[in-house]
Amino acid sequence: MFTVSHVTKRYGKLTANSDISFEVGDGQIAVLLGPNGAGKSTIIKCIAGLLRFEGEIRIDGHPNKSLEAKRLLGYVPEMPAVYDLLTVGEHLEFIARAYSLSGWEGYAASLLERFELADKKEKLGKELSKGMQQKLSVCCALLHRPKAVIFDEPLVGLDPHAIKELKDLFRELKRDGAAVLISTHMIDSVEDYWDIAHIMMNGRFAATMRSDPAAQQEKTLEELFFEITEAPASAGTGGAV
Amino acid sequence: MRALSYLFFTTLKNRIKELRRHPSQLILLLFLAAMLALAVATAGLPSEAGAQRRPLAELRAMLLALYAAMFLLLCKNGLSSGASFYSMADVHLLFSAPIRPQRILFYGLLRQLGASVLLGFFLVFQYSWLHDLYGLSLPGLLAIVLGYCLTVFCAQLTAVVLYAFTSGSERRRRIGKGALYLLAAAAVLGAGLPALAPGTAQEKLAAVVSAADGPLLAGFPVAGWLKAAAGGLIGGGALPAALGLGAGAAYAAALVALLTAAHPDFYEDVLKATEISFTAVTASKEGKMAEPLPARVKVGRTGIGAGRGAGVFYYKHRLERRRSRVFLLDGMTLLWAGICIVFSFFMREEGMLAVFIFATYMQLFSSSTGRWLRELLMPYAYMIPEPPFRKLIGVCRESILQSAAEAAVVMIPCGLIVGAPPLLIAGCVAARFGFALLFMAGNILMERLFGQVLNKALILGLFLLLMVLLALPGVAAGVAAGILAGMEAAMPVVALWCAAVSALIAFLCRDLLDIAELNNK
Repeated sequence: MFTVSHVTKRYGKLTANSDISFEVGDGQIAVLLGPNGAGKSTIIKCIAGLLRFEGEIRIDGHPNKSLEAKRLLGYVPEMPAVYDLLTVGEHLEFIARAYSLSGWEGYAASLLERFELADKKEKLGKELSKGMQQKLSVCCALLHRPKAVIFDEPLVGLDPHAIKELKDLFRELKRDGAAVLISTHMIDSVEDYWDIAHIMMNGRFAATMRSDPAAQQEKTLEELFFEITEAPASAGTGGAV
Repeated sequence: MRALSYLFFTTLKNRIKELRRHPSQLILLLFLAAMLALAVATAGLPSEAGAQRRPLAELRAMLLALYAAMFLLLCKNGLSSGASFYSMADVHLLFSAPIRPQRILFYGLLRQLGASVLLGFFLVFQYSWLHDLYGLSLPGLLAIVLGYCLTVFCAQLTAVVLYAFTSGSERRRRIGKGALYLLAAAAVLGAGLPALAPGTAQEKLAAVVSAADGPLLAGFPVAGWLKAAAGGLIGGGALPAALGLGAGAAYAAALVALLTAAHPDFYEDVLKATEISFTAVTASKEGKMAEPLPARVKVGRTGIGAGRGAGVFYYKHRLERRRSRVFLLDGMTLLWAGICIVFSFFMREEGMLAVFIFATYMQLFSSSTGRWLRELLMPYAYMIPEPPFRKLIGVCRESILQSAAEAAVVMIPCGLIVGAPPLLIAGCVAARFGFALLFMAGNILMERLFGQVLNKALILGLFLLLMVLLALPGVAAGVAAGILAGMEAAMPVVALWCAAVSALIAFLCRDLLDIAELNNK
């Protein structure tokens, strides 16, 4: 699991995230929803240890910048993190060597097979389309079998097959007990597998909604999202549903 | 035409208005203006009594080399990907609008002319040494900048025309490429053949300069004409100036006429170049530092093969270097090295110190590249579970070794040309390597202190200031050692200072990859 406690991130005068707190438990899928500029990517980057912030983030009890936390964390950035001059196979070798993995080859092959990259193992990063680069980025993030995985807009640019595979993967990660956080602004893409959804506006959580298939929900996630994001600026925000 | 003039002037107006919102850009602009003012001021100063000037023919020969290199390189790019005067917004909005293509072409040419002037601005910063060595006046400098801008402009136009007429046929492209190589070979032979005649090194050099400044190479397309024009304006020769400028203008007019008459549908020809340029700009905005890659990368043997933990970065960089066809030094580094070596020819009478100072000045601008900096724009360097200092060393290792090789490649030929003793050459190699480490450490410090600052121009200004401040004590100590025990003693002192400061900075910034932010905005 990972916990985010009172995290504030400022860029000069702009407050991108303001006093954000939440946690994602083991075997839970949390989604961050919000319009462009709501601060979703910023909090994701803070969790990944790529930005400085005020507050505290812990991965399985370890501070997020500790080596223990880094071993447990997987991160799929919004822009695919792919090297132009490494082949697909070498990207995975690079991750395996960097994380000092052993016996990784079988899992790497299965990831490549699953995302239809097996026949492109010898292709260079620069030769891949953006969708393929995104798929490779996912493979790199998962190779060390992280216990906490954060995805920043993972479905953008993917073909239908890859979207289906990725959605299946989210469920598998959940089943295997990983804590999964997905940032997206495509509500319909997450409707069927989330456990908890946080709707962000202006760097804050405007609402939090829990999925309860047994209970009759008062509003759908989409209705709640538009109610919040299309409300006049003066309308109050915050609360749980 | 109303739409195009509206677009042109509104863009210009908005750019000026933007300066109010981004004071750092205004500061940069004022700094450039101040540099120009300084050039004007120093041009007005009386020359030292009895100061020896080098012959102007040398300056004209260097101009030919610069103009010809720019012309040929830009034309060669034109053969593979074309050239574009347009942005992606132009492509999408203007090309589909009911405006005549010829008018859009002229709009593009006008934009390109503005971009060429900006490109030529770096020459202003060479004014000081050109004034000292050749007694160049401010109007002379402006003539050189004008010649450069027109060369770039004509080269871009040539690139578009070459692409338009060769893109459909591999045979025509090969012929175009062959013609460019022939032109380059003719220039090299024309200037270099006189050096084969018997004589001292000085006589050979004089013969090369004389040939490069002679009437034969004044006929070299565009570069030769505009060199003659700039030379004429500098030396008061009205006829070569008029002939050169006239030839350049006629050439540009002929190309425009050719393009509009024989190939009016040029949109497709500039589309690829626009997309390439757009991709590079987008990549830069997204924090990806574009690496100059060969058009076709030969994959060769696959696998990183060695390294674990942070050590894998070094082996990955070696693999990437092989694929980018860099065996010892990359193309840009070789170009900078070549400039220093050529300069040492002209400065050989001034001694090794003058050559070293010039080479270090150039090094300041060429040092802010390298694979290690690109690595800081990817998340892996931050996320890999290894101690940050170990990662920092792993990420920098390849660049450190390359800097050592670069120091030897630059300073040994320079030392031999100047005729410096071996001990002094070795000292210069060590000092240059020391400066390379210092500049690398300076970049690390900038990332540590100002990593989240997005304005690259401001960062560059701060970097230059920081480097001067950090190097100053070492340079002062070197001067003292030089006065006491000669130049041979000065260089190791400078090298030691730079290495020590670099090590201290690296130690103080050992947590860089834990604390710095991934600055990819």
